[in-house]
Amino acid sequence: MFKSTELYAFCCYSPIPCMDLLAQLSSRQLLVVTGKGGVGKTAVSAVLGRIFAARGKRVLVVEVDPRENLHQMLGMPPTGGDILPAGSRLWVQNLKPRQVLDSVVRERLKLELLVRRVLASPVYHHFVDGAPGLTELAILGHALRLVRGIDKSAPQLDLVILDAPATGHGVRLLASPRLVSEVIRHGAFAVMAGELAEMIADPARCGILAVTQAEEMPVQEVLEMRQALRSQVEKDPEALVVNGLYPPAPEPAGTGEDDELVSLWRRRRLLNERELERLGTEWLGPRLELPQLAMDRGPALTAALQTCLERAAEARAWT
Amino acid sequence: MDLISGGLIADAQPLTIVVGSGGVGKTTLAAAMGVLAARSGRDTLVMTFDPSLRLKDALGVGEEAREREVKVSFQAPGSLYASLLDARITFDRLVERYAPDDASRRRILGNRFYQHLSGSLGGILEYMAVERLYEVAAEGRFRQVILDTPPTRQALDFLEAPARIVGFLDSGALRVALKGWFDEEGHLTMAARLGPLGRQAERFLDNVVGLDLLRDMAEFFQAFAPLFEGFRERAQAVEELLRSRRTRFIVVSGPGEERIPDTLFFSRRLEQAGYHLGPTIVNRVHPSFQVQGAPPAADPCRPTGWELLTWLGERDRRGLAALAALVSRRQPLIAVPLLPGEPTDLPSLEALGRLVEERLGEWSRRFAKGAEEEG
Repeated sequence: MFKSTELYAFCCYSPIPCMDLLAQLSSRQLLVVTGKGGVGKTAVSAVLGRIFAARGKRVLVVEVDPRENLHQMLGMPPTGGDILPAGSRLWVQNLKPRQVLDSVVRERLKLELLVRRVLASPVYHHFVDGAPGLTELAILGHALRLVRGIDKSAPQLDLVILDAPATGHGVRLLASPRLVSEVIRHGAFAVMAGELAEMIADPARCGILAVTQAEEMPVQEVLEMRQALRSQVEKDPEALVVNGLYPPAPEPAGTGEDDELVSLWRRRRLLNERELERLGTEWLGPRLELPQLAMDRGPALTAALQTCLERAAEARAWT
Repeated sequence: MDLISGGLIADAQPLTIVVGSGGVGKTTLAAAMGVLAARSGRDTLVMTFDPSLRLKDALGVGEEAREREVKVSFQAPGSLYASLLDARITFDRLVERYAPDDASRRRILGNRFYQHLSGSLGGILEYMAVERLYEVAAEGRFRQVILDTPPTRQALDFLEAPARIVGFLDSGALRVALKGWFDEEGHLTMAARLGPLGRQAERFLDNVVGLDLLRDMAEFFQAFAPLFEGFRERAQAVEELLRSRRTRFIVVSGPGEERIPDTLFFSRRLEQAGYHLGPTIVNRVHPSFQVQGAPPAADPCRPTGWELLTWLGERDRRGLAALAALVSRRQPLIAVPLLPGEPTDLPSLEALGRLVEERLGEWSRRFAKGAEEEG
């Protein structure tokens, strides 16, 4: 049995065309989209949601950020924490981790009077704030319950795309089951942590997608993030999306000087190329490139990026 | 107003905190200000989190900067130091300072809950950053201290974190709640005084989180108890320092309209909460270009550079205009253009610092002229 990274190393450097990367990603139950803030994680998550839904999967895109952005990419009103339909077979949710923890309390503690007292108690609040990894565990646990269909009020799903919080570049999120297992050794959270650690370790069920931009800081950070994932989660991202690329610039004119625009264009593109080259030597896994488009954030941009990503994946498969 | 006469480096405000969303260039701007301050003859410290490798190289600091301030090799009238913030090391240092004796110090540092807590409690990095700022300010070694803040998506987290951490450590509720549960050996005692409710809650807790965690937490809070007083006083002093006239906040924003709500929200919150705002810097603004007759791209996934840069320039112009219309006229708002490449050595950092200073000067002259015309 190949691990997914080995399989890629095998197919991408052989004359046999790569298996369709997007099909592979869409076969996961949980896909965690990681990266530094501001590189376009949320846009990539929305685009993937649309692609997988169009391919017949039932997909939920979950955003964990108190300032909602995801709905804008899909031309919807803010979700306010609910799971809302965003198209055929596609749903979105802005998740408040506290909701999930509170619902665990509700389930375990069936007496309404006690539930209210626990939820109102400062002890509970401090505990939830302070217990290491608990919030992150709740986010992952929410995804697991949904793909298992435990929550009957939620739609039946094949796949959850998790737009990871920018803090710790998503490593903290993925490492939380292990952390919690070390701190909490029995009880409901310990069981949940064990199941989640197993799911994350399983290459068939859980994939990680890294997003970056081809600039010095983001590339440096994505390489450091991979290192942290290797040591804390023992897992590599399955693919890397390089977002926001400037278009290739024209050759310098032989005689006259460039105008200001062309000169800025060329220098920005050069910066991109330098970083792509660095990724070429340091990131051997599959890589998809997305252009910077001249469009405001919104459904039109998301649709355009979908076309570009599908095309990039197709081009990869045959080269 | 001090700000207008003071320029980018102001002696009346020796402490600068650079805040903003992730990925807007805070670290580079903080380093650029540090270089400028040292150049102008002030002994300066730049405290930062996760600078890029090249910026670390440019400043000449490595891992040793996590333990102490490292001198940057830079020929200038003032000296320039840099340090990397590390939550765990700062927390350990605090425990060492406030622990009444060796035994309590060892009890805390060896506690399993503390070991996880000190690396992963939300907001701890932010708290330790201001804590370190306080320490450095108290030592008085530097005339200018510039603190680059952690890359929070929500810049507001930075201000709320200290209160959360102190609230957590200072949590009488947890201490009291956990106190009766375990005896000296860490065995569970029946929380009889809580009555049936207590026993049920206890069963519930064991069922959900397990008693191991609670035991570790109880031990931690008991061990930490003698430190609370020192900690609380310290936290108050830190808070006072942040609100004092000696400290100013510089808000850095990315260009483009979608960044404005964040920037505006954060500046207003800072002001309302009584912090002192320095200039607001909109970073990496694309220049405006007028291009006529450039053909549109045939392929939507490959816009031409003419199309793209014209659009980016227009987007950033709209963003700046919208922000300028929303902030007070007295609030310095400056646009720093997108540079051809990120500054990654001392001369290019200094050039960036000078550019920001120049823009601030232009703003001041415009402001003075406007005030004169009105008066």
